[in-house]
Amino acid sequence: MIGGGVVLAVLGVLLVALGTQFLRTKGWSALARPDGGYLPGGETGVQHEEKQAGLLRWLTTVDHKDIGILYLVFGTVAALWGGTEAMMMRTELLTPQADVWTAATYNGLFTTHGITMLFFFATPVFFGIGNYFLPLLLDADDMAFPRINAIGFWMLPPALLLARAGLPADALGKILSTVGIHIPILDVLHPPETGWTLYAPLSIQTTNPQVDLLLLGLHLSGIATTLGAINFIVTVVAERGEGVGWDNVDIFSWTMLSTSGVVLFAFPLLGSAVIMMLLDRNFGTTFYLVEGGGPILWQHLFWFFGHPEVYIIFLPATGLVSTILPKFSGRRLFGFRFIVYSTLAIGVLSFGVWAHHMFTTGIDPRVRASFMFVSLAIAVPSAVKVFNWLSTMYDGRIRLTAPMILSVGSVGTFIIGGVTGVFLAAIPIDLIYHDTQYVVGHFHFIIMGIIAMMMLAASYYWYPIITGRMYDQRLARLQAALTIAGVPVTFGSMLVMGALGLPRRYADYPTQFATLQQVASVGAFVIGVGALLWLWNMVQSYRVGPRVRDADVWNLKESGQFTREWQWFEEQLDERYAADGGETDD
Amino acid sequence: MHRALRAVAGGVVGTLVLGFFLLVLDTQARGALSVAGVVARFLGVPGRPVLAVALFVALAVVGWPALFVAVEEYLPFGPDPAARGVVFAAVIGIVFVVVGRGAISGPILVLYVGFAMLAHLAYGFALGSVYGRLAR
Repeated sequence: MIGGGVVLAVLGVLLVALGTQFLRTKGWSALARPDGGYLPGGETGVQHEEKQAGLLRWLTTVDHKDIGILYLVFGTVAALWGGTEAMMMRTELLTPQADVWTAATYNGLFTTHGITMLFFFATPVFFGIGNYFLPLLLDADDMAFPRINAIGFWMLPPALLLARAGLPADALGKILSTVGIHIPILDVLHPPETGWTLYAPLSIQTTNPQVDLLLLGLHLSGIATTLGAINFIVTVVAERGEGVGWDNVDIFSWTMLSTSGVVLFAFPLLGSAVIMMLLDRNFGTTFYLVEGGGPILWQHLFWFFGHPEVYIIFLPATGLVSTILPKFSGRRLFGFRFIVYSTLAIGVLSFGVWAHHMFTTGIDPRVRASFMFVSLAIAVPSAVKVFNWLSTMYDGRIRLTAPMILSVGSVGTFIIGGVTGVFLAAIPIDLIYHDTQYVVGHFHFIIMGIIAMMMLAASYYWYPIITGRMYDQRLARLQAALTIAGVPVTFGSMLVMGALGLPRRYADYPTQFATLQQVASVGAFVIGVGALLWLWNMVQSYRVGPRVRDADVWNLKESGQFTREWQWFEEQLDERYAADGGETDD
Repeated sequence: MHRALRAVAGGVVGTLVLGFFLLVLDTQARGALSVAGVVARFLGVPGRPVLAVALFVALAVVGWPALFVAVEEYLPFGPDPAARGVVFAAVIGIVFVVVGRGAISGPILVLYVGFAMLAHLAYGFALGSVYGRLAR
């Protein structure tokens, strides 16, 4: 019947409308919320009078707060893109056969998922948080180099587009082909299938031109990240306000400083390494060929960047735990100085562990042993942090707000991620577990378990400062709980599968792993639903959330923890509401 | 602005969002399912994807917004029209997913249901928020 679905949809809508009316007549008011916040509009116009209006403001801004928001929005878009790929991978793995997509598509999925999440989600989001809050925390007027700051950000969108051109090219090709236009280049750009590590010789032999674009995109993102890092370092060193000496720099600024230092040494090396690969692919050089430096050279260079990169995104997450956890424990951070030392120690040691990714490549056993020792040693400063976080909570006045739930959950999942990593650092165990799902489970316990979770915590903790509104706290707690539950279900299953010998990077697998794979997929879908709830909460609360009038949202004055960024926020609120006499709600 | 015009403006923006999500679904599915085919089944014109897409766009730009204006104040989660739009589109999305499903089965069904619903929820949000914003 023509329009069958449409008629059903219309009937469905009418049914819901009638049902709602019926419930209202029965006095059930839960569906109609008279106090559902404020509708958007009628801004006071006090805060941003000096700035350009509309789109132009965002394109031309050099204000650290605006650039911070741009970073955060960009990171969120990348996260949703990379997250979609994660969901697709987990869909493919629901059945033992590669029956949803081809194995080649699956290869493309894990490659682009890794690249998107590490380069375009994790790093930019922390840079966004840093951009917004570091100057406030340090009582600085702005970042040290505002224009370089803007340039650093604006290199990222083209970098993402270059790195991920396969999918947009596909989509554009589809649209154009429906109207009869055919552009050949759009058909040849496929997502790369090399893995995010781009190991030679596969990445050199692959004919897909998208690999070249990816290398250029990575190079561009490396420049952007380095510029941002230089800016952070100079800001912390030279732009601190009068009352902020080295003795009272806050813990998040310390971690951003350390991270930036690591970026400074790691990312330029990646830039050089990818340029050499580009030359190998296109100009006949032999940097990574057997006749030249050999494929193992790529692994050394890549992991000399790659392992510090892990700490580049890990350190800010620990800084956020150290910032947020004490606030909701009603106590000062236990052992502040030792947390700073451990952060610096991790920053230095992170450059001495790279070859633990290469234990199975046949490198000299003496070299392997030294890297094993440093890899085991780096667990010590991490453990110092965990000990101090637990001590901070001990006997504290714990308040289970959404950011606190996520912080506590982060400590828990990080312990699992960290301890499984210590096992991997031991050469004999690594020889067995290398390239299995165990490794994927291990690092996702950290990447999802503390890094992404602390981003969420930070978004909840500082949301009032950024938007001037409050979010739905009940929904936030639900989202926190879903994410914390989803992580061990998903990645714990991977640990078990890996321990049982299931290799990573395969679209199909033996049937005896089907149940565990399905459990992992369900866990991943739970995390995915959580992410959508977060997005809804952020967007909807920005539109209609109740306005914040009292800057002490978290009762921090009571415990003497009303830190500089909140004091700044209080001044802003005073200014705003003094200007309109406190009469404007919206 | 007249509320019919506001609704159509919302419909245009919503359709762009809906189209974007469905295009992503189509592209990401790598030929494992055809969104045009789903739309054709939903509209009851199977085998005629071009006609189906044209009808679907017209429906999303004018048809659904008109219905939304008619039933808006009876929908739950007011007074915010965006929240109401999400409820409105969720109902349409459920019917779309069920009627348009055809022979889609196995693991890809999860992705199909998730993405098609997400596309509709985003459509409803865009429709409602633009409709509400233009009221000022």
